[in-house]
Amino acid sequence: MKTIDIVRRAARSLRSAKTRTILTSLAIAVGAFTITVSLAVGEGARQYADNLINSNVNPKALFIVKDKTLFEGGAQRAAITEYNPDAAQTAAGATIVSMTQKDVDALSARSDIESVVPTYNPVVRYMTFDGSSKKYSADVSTYNDSILSESAYGSLPPQNQQLGDTDAVVPEAFVDTLIKAGVIKEGADLVGKKVTLTAVQATVTPTTDQISAAFATGGQAAVEDLVKPQTKDFTFTIRAVSQKSSSALTGVTAVQIAPNAARAISEFITAGTNEYQKYLGVTALVKGDTDPQKVKEALNNAGYYTQTAKDLQGLIFTVVNTLQGIVLGFGIIALIASVFGIINTQYISVLERTREIGLMKALGMRGRSVSRLFQFEAAWIGFLGGIIGAAIAVVLGVTLNPWVTSVLGLSEGTKLLIFQPLPIAGMIIVLIFIAMLAGWFPARKAAKLDPIEALRTE
Amino acid sequence: MIEIKNVTKTYGKKGSTFQALKDVSLTIPDGASVAIVGKSGSGKSTLMHAMSGLDRPEAGEVIIDGVDILKLKKKAVDTFRSEKIGFIFQSFFVQANESCYDNVSLPLEISNSKASQRKVRIEEALATVDLSDKLKQKARNLSGGQKQRLAIARAIVNKPSIIFADEPTGNLDSTTGEKVEDLLFSLNKKEGSTLIIVTHDTDLARKCDVQVYIKDGQIEQTVGLAASTAGKEHK
Repeated sequence: MKTIDIVRRAARSLRSAKTRTILTSLAIAVGAFTITVSLAVGEGARQYADNLINSNVNPKALFIVKDKTLFEGGAQRAAITEYNPDAAQTAAGATIVSMTQKDVDALSARSDIESVVPTYNPVVRYMTFDGSSKKYSADVSTYNDSILSESAYGSLPPQNQQLGDTDAVVPEAFVDTLIKAGVIKEGADLVGKKVTLTAVQATVTPTTDQISAAFATGGQAAVEDLVKPQTKDFTFTIRAVSQKSSSALTGVTAVQIAPNAARAISEFITAGTNEYQKYLGVTALVKGDTDPQKVKEALNNAGYYTQTAKDLQGLIFTVVNTLQGIVLGFGIIALIASVFGIINTQYISVLERTREIGLMKALGMRGRSVSRLFQFEAAWIGFLGGIIGAAIAVVLGVTLNPWVTSVLGLSEGTKLLIFQPLPIAGMIIVLIFIAMLAGWFPARKAAKLDPIEALRTE
Repeated sequence: MIEIKNVTKTYGKKGSTFQALKDVSLTIPDGASVAIVGKSGSGKSTLMHAMSGLDRPEAGEVIIDGVDILKLKKKAVDTFRSEKIGFIFQSFFVQANESCYDNVSLPLEISNSKASQRKVRIEEALATVDLSDKLKQKARNLSGGQKQRLAIARAIVNKPSIIFADEPTGNLDSTTGEKVEDLLFSLNKKEGSTLIIVTHDTDLARKCDVQVYIKDGQIEQTVGLAASTAGKEHK
């Protein structure tokens, strides 16, 4: 018997048992729906992450550290570790091997690296705006010139060009607070305004010699001066107000300044301590067309630990893939449940249609063809379930996409559910095969039926 | 020609066996109409099953057109049935949820006949049994007599050389039963196919060229035609 005839007969007998067919395929549809959604969420999240990384990380950038534990989710604190003068203590008490100026110089001297910027830690106590005595707490970060940000007011330098050493960029989030405080009337007023960052030097316990020397020259007041924390004001001109962006990872609430300025603050506050010119890591740009991966290997051989933009992408993708895997897992569990549904339905169908099977076999239909008839029926159920599940998922996803985007506060047009026809088609084909596999047991029973027994009327 | 030589069929396993056919021999010439008559349990159905290749007796030969179908492989027996045999059953066994057209189409599909020829042959078969107007009707909407005529159309659509009818009028009232009988005999005369009717209805049996009476798995008596063509008689 020709396959096409069997497929047609299979479709016909399913049509004549519509309720049963639809109910059985709905069980598969649940699995198909979950899998379609997981595929769409995974793809959407990956594209979103990709977009996020591309707009935040220069593909040529490397992040280099000396302490591997920084890339391994935090340092494990050993009960006792050997003292290392280059090591800094984290808040948790673990020691981290820092980069020194020597490392920075060594990296700058390499032929495959274009520029090296250490991660300065410019902590300031407060900031004040020109024309107001109010003090505000402030986060300060280094301006990243490898990505192009959008400005709300004023103008940002073109890509790959740094801010001037006395330039600052403040976030749009400042505007409302400053208008309420009466510092400015509108956001545009911030451009050109001066902002002063006040940094405090870490206190260094003076030696007895220093104390006696100070006492000898200036008396009690001089000694008080000696132990009083040194403060210094760094004044910048606001060049631009950066726009809030859903795809920006950094600089949301920080004042951004040029690396040199950050370095000055950082060195001022650590002067005299063992933190001076110690860095957690450095950001380097590879030269020209050099493959960042190759530079990474060379650096790793030189005793550094390096992450490329791709590594960062991989890190985020690992998280996305794990989440997708969990949703996919639920879909697969639903499918396994539906497989038993198919087996059960088809077994009942075989019992109900004993006469029909007997007749077909009496008319000379081969056992193999009978078996295929039932397997194709199962395949139709799988196909139907896949289509129903995928269709519901797509319709729901397309309808809900704008809502999801607004709830998560993503920028306009970002889609977190992205449906691709190819994976969905692939899933439906896999479902058809699973259904046929499930249909195999009842089909075998049908194929083995003895026509004489089946046609016995008594 | 159908030749049955010393066929024995035993049912059951060790301990409780039952011989449904005991060393049966019979010859049926081409184009004859034969009635196999006997009470229920006499072995008449088993004989029909053996002749049509549905069942495999453990001893003897069933030679149809020179081929012993008991020596054929299962696949070849299936092909033999799909090409040379037509079946008509007491309970019709038409697919209630399918159209008349699809019901008649089944044997053509099984025997892999060309799709282009099917339509003509199906319409022809339905015209023969006077059901042309019911082509697209579901079989469940037919009356009993119409259902049996549909079954006849299904049996003849492949132009088989032998048609087996197992109590074809058993489920019909006498008027419709007679119409079905007339149809079967006219087909037998017109097409020249061999008609083998299994029945316990002696009136129907008398209309056949040959009557084979079966009792307890043995042929009791063969009536009609010359003894030479009907095969050697049993005592």
